[in-house]
Amino acid sequence: MYAKQLGELSETRSWAYILILPSIVLIFIVIIYPVFHGVSLSFQEMQLTKPHKSGFVGLKNYYKLFTDEVFLISLKNTGIWVTVVTILEFSLGLLSAVLLNRAGLFVKIAGVLILLPWILPSVVAANIWALMLDSRLGVLNDMLYQMGLIREYVAWFAEKETALISTMLIEVWKGFPFFSLLLLAGLQSIDDELYEAGRVDGASDMAMFWYITLPMLKPVIVATIVLRVISLVNSPDLILILTNGGPGYSTHVLSLYAFLKAYSEFNFGYSGTISVFMFLILIFFTILYVRMSRLNS
Amino acid sequence: MKNNLKKKSLIILLLGLIVLYSVFPIVWTLITSFKPESDIVTNELQYIPENFTLANYSAIWTRSGYPRLIANSLQVTLITMVICMTLGTLAAYSLSRYQFKIRNQILLFYLVIRMFPVVLMIVPLWIMMRYFGLLNTHLGLAIAYTTFLLPLCVWMMKSFFDAIPPDLEDSARIDGCSRLTALFYVVLPLARGGLMATAIFIGIAAWNEYLFALMFTNSQESQTWPVGLALMVGEFQLPWGALSAGGIISIFPVILLFSLVQQTLVKGLTSGAVKG
Repeated sequence: MYAKQLGELSETRSWAYILILPSIVLIFIVIIYPVFHGVSLSFQEMQLTKPHKSGFVGLKNYYKLFTDEVFLISLKNTGIWVTVVTILEFSLGLLSAVLLNRAGLFVKIAGVLILLPWILPSVVAANIWALMLDSRLGVLNDMLYQMGLIREYVAWFAEKETALISTMLIEVWKGFPFFSLLLLAGLQSIDDELYEAGRVDGASDMAMFWYITLPMLKPVIVATIVLRVISLVNSPDLILILTNGGPGYSTHVLSLYAFLKAYSEFNFGYSGTISVFMFLILIFFTILYVRMSRLNS
Repeated sequence: MKNNLKKKSLIILLLGLIVLYSVFPIVWTLITSFKPESDIVTNELQYIPENFTLANYSAIWTRSGYPRLIANSLQVTLITMVICMTLGTLAAYSLSRYQFKIRNQILLFYLVIRMFPVVLMIVPLWIMMRYFGLLNTHLGLAIAYTTFLLPLCVWMMKSFFDAIPPDLEDSARIDGCSRLTALFYVVLPLARGGLMATAIFIGIAAWNEYLFALMFTNSQESQTWPVGLALMVGEFQLPWGALSAGGIISIFPVILLFSLVQQTLVKGLTSGAVKG
């Protein structure tokens, strides 16, 4: 009965919109409305622990940002963290993509194995590395000690200097396959004739990499870097589980600070302010990405 | 000739090192999960377990709420998959097959909303869920997961639909199918590889998710395994062996399913980004 009517409806012009509508409605409820609500929270004093103090306070939270030492440390750490991790992940991703861009069983298996950390849950990734980097039982200390690279075991997460580096090492381990995956697909879409022409002209491998591969790969490189920067700014998972921002504030980043303000202190207003600040940074990268993808298509 | 061989061994050496970096930590966790605790907490590190045991697995399975956590995760994952695959597939089909005025804007919209900060949405969502009584429920968590998985699903499914020639539907429609029946009898069966890969990718992401689950659940009844496991580490000083076993149990299905659909999945993930 209804099936027939639906079938007839599916032949009309409005069918295209009807199919999209449910997902758009859901997205407005769970994404668009919360984003606006989040922005409005950033102008409010709202702490669930102090209900009597709620209300609009204008820009007060924003003024507070720039005198808040923890915020400034988090901002600096976010910059360092995102820059270093992106550079390392991109380099390792490009290297592995170039190596994987050939036939052979070993290469094929390697291609799958390299992707494994990328699909692991951050909780397990964090636990794995917490054990590997343990100051007393960690296998990394043992290996470095045996090789004579360190004189005594290092407490990787307890020292301010090594804590940030350790979390970066783990983030790179989990994140570089994203670059391998997309850069490899990019490499495979480059026309072989270009390389043949290069070979006829007597170009070396290095020259072909610089003058054919990199220019052809540029749109993918820019797109992947922007996407990765966005997701790095966005996700505090690994740091939250590994160090909770410590020791001190040495591994505090903006996303973590905003989350902890909401989760541990129920300070929803100020958490919103930090998030909006992050949002403004991300909008810049998003516009960059959209510009790039427009140029592509 | 000699140069070629040199180059080849260099490639294999470098690739081998990268694979080692990627895989060794996982293998090390597997090895640890088979050691009795006394052999883990020792001064002499054992690279091969001397006293192989499955005690860690039975410990985590019977002496913590782990089965309950796994069951919760399974339910949340399934609900997320159903919501995303139903709504996402319909939207993706429309975006792949129809040319209409705001089509490109909608595609861009699905792309851009993925970049909104999670921490900005998480508090308003929490307030909304509390209002509707959805905190500590599987449905509530699954709805929260659609914030980042539904747009992803639309983009992936669109790329799979794009790869299916529209001629097949057109001839089915000449034979009396409507758009709707052609979708069910012609297009979806042809896209089943892509459907499967997308569903598994969505499933893995929901299974792994930590931040929303931490914020939106606070009882053993509703917690998912990532939150449960993380809290066990904090509260009970969970021994390393049991912790490793718990990790291995929960990543086993992820690795297995991922390997099954890996090729199709990679195609779906990369086609959008490198269409160039």
